[in-house]
Amino acid sequence: MQKQITEANFRLLLDSLLFKGQRVVGPRRSGGTVLYEPLASASDLVTDELPRRSVKEAFFPVCEDLLEYRKEGQQVALSDVTAERFPETVLIGVRPCDAAAVPVLDAVFSWDYKDQFFLERRARTTIIGLACTSSDDACFCSAVGLSPADPKGADLMLTPLVGGGFLVESQSEKGEAFLETWRDRFAEPDGTQTQALATPATQPFDLKRIKAWLDDHFEDAAWDSIATRCVGCGACAFVCPACHCFDIVDEGSEKGGKRRKFWDACGFWKFTHHASGHNPRDLQPKRYRNRIMHKFKYYDDKFGQTLCTGCGRCIRVCPVGIDIAGVLEEIQEKG
Amino acid sequence: MCDHNKNIYLPYLATVEEVIDETPDVRTLRLVFQDEQVREGFNFRAGQFAEYSAFGAGESTFCIASSPTRKGYIECCFRAVGRVTESLRRLEVGDTMGVRGPYGNSFPIEQFFGKNLLFVTGGIALPPLRTLIWNCLDWRDKFGDITIVYGARTEADLVYKRELKEWEARSDVKLVKTVDPGGNGPEWDGKVGFVPTVLDELAPTAENTIALVCGPPIMIKFTLPVLEKLGFGDEEIYTTLENRMKCGLGKCGRCNVGNIYVCKDGPVFTAKQVKAMPLEY
Repeated sequence: MQKQITEANFRLLLDSLLFKGQRVVGPRRSGGTVLYEPLASASDLVTDELPRRSVKEAFFPVCEDLLEYRKEGQQVALSDVTAERFPETVLIGVRPCDAAAVPVLDAVFSWDYKDQFFLERRARTTIIGLACTSSDDACFCSAVGLSPADPKGADLMLTPLVGGGFLVESQSEKGEAFLETWRDRFAEPDGTQTQALATPATQPFDLKRIKAWLDDHFEDAAWDSIATRCVGCGACAFVCPACHCFDIVDEGSEKGGKRRKFWDACGFWKFTHHASGHNPRDLQPKRYRNRIMHKFKYYDDKFGQTLCTGCGRCIRVCPVGIDIAGVLEEIQEKG
Repeated sequence: MCDHNKNIYLPYLATVEEVIDETPDVRTLRLVFQDEQVREGFNFRAGQFAEYSAFGAGESTFCIASSPTRKGYIECCFRAVGRVTESLRRLEVGDTMGVRGPYGNSFPIEQFFGKNLLFVTGGIALPPLRTLIWNCLDWRDKFGDITIVYGARTEADLVYKRELKEWEARSDVKLVKTVDPGGNGPEWDGKVGFVPTVLDELAPTAENTIALVCGPPIMIKFTLPVLEKLGFGDEEIYTTLENRMKCGLGKCGRCNVGNIYVCKDGPVFTAKQVKAMPLEY
């Protein structure tokens, strides 16, 4: 279903949602940066800046409680999390490179064992995407099969119109239901032009060719030259919309505390360190290789998907200037 | 309320029923699940692992070291080397700990029926095979000859010393124990030499035999060529891999060897499967 909404009605709709007690999360200024955070009013929403961290934390927070424990004598009492932990949420202003990563992550969190921490939030969230009208030289969504208007992962897709307001397209039943619930705020499209979309400079990668090279080149001198600069800070994994590795840590004393799930990163030395002292990925190039392999080979082998949406955040934050798009280009030329 | 189906990270509570010091720094804990339904319903196969937790310290991954044929309890065996294992070591009889599992694949024991079994292991790598050894001994009539070659750096480093005596005393098991040169005391009645060398001298038959190998990487590296020389095929040799894990559920992303997830695809692999893997274990 296609509709249209004026800028004023859009803001009123947001405020109505908030007034009704609906939890609405979207890009908002938080200190010096823009992050996906709960909005307090429609005016909090930032639509012209890519949030510093990705939207994955709406489903997979930086850290979250898995359980609480309390020791009483020799006994331990556990308390589980409750459903209130996963409130109904409207995610708004989600960039295509962020929204597209969410269904990619569904695969790992739902295969075999079901991670309800991710899946419950997923089920209770409506994602309203926002097409991109500006890009920078780190953006490469169009190189990994997406585009600045790609609705993948979104329940509703907003495209800014010339002169303000948005063209609105539903992409799922959740999206249809949202349009139906708030139908008074929407109008039929009147033919107003949509704004010019962003044009990331990169050419599409041949992901099959890249994967074919990765299939046969676990050992290759190129890894040393590609990753020799990597300092293993893990920043790339933390800002990535698709990286999902985590650690499980107890916080508290032996008497009482919480067990929590934390973001982790394969770039860290300790990530694979055995109790014996042996470490299969003892050197940084081996860890960087795992990052590339996981994204462009292993995840594809296992789930038929690429674990990268070309958001470019890892390029922007890398303190030593490693450019994953450049790495992929290099690999593509070898393949 | 605790819902294990909803929260896959929620452990079962278990009571430490017995503490056995295997060596100065290796300990066995015998655990009994506190919930009667869990106690009755906890079924596993030899080779599977679990996540054991000391509340306040976190979780560690070990195989289930007891045999699935021994009902009512499970055992784990670990060396105290880090935060979690030091905490587990402080637990006393009657204390409570957490257990998640069983996870991973297992030894295809049905495929071993009617065959000779050759166990080759070193140091603290005996526990992952000990579950299978007892499983097979409890079903003794289903197997041919059972030979166990077990080595450690020194006499003191041998684990399950009481059981080694038991196996030695049995006429239906052949135990060859060895310590590294210099690791033997005046009373030592076993061999002196590294496991691969001792295996080479012993020269057990490969005919109708399955080899089960678990040990430190260096032992495995030198043992596989000996087995090959003896005529074992790559699909007649099994091992278990021990990569670092956190979730045990195929999510947290650290135990992979190439695109193989040790927690889901393993931990039990044939030598053929291991040889096809990149060197990342």
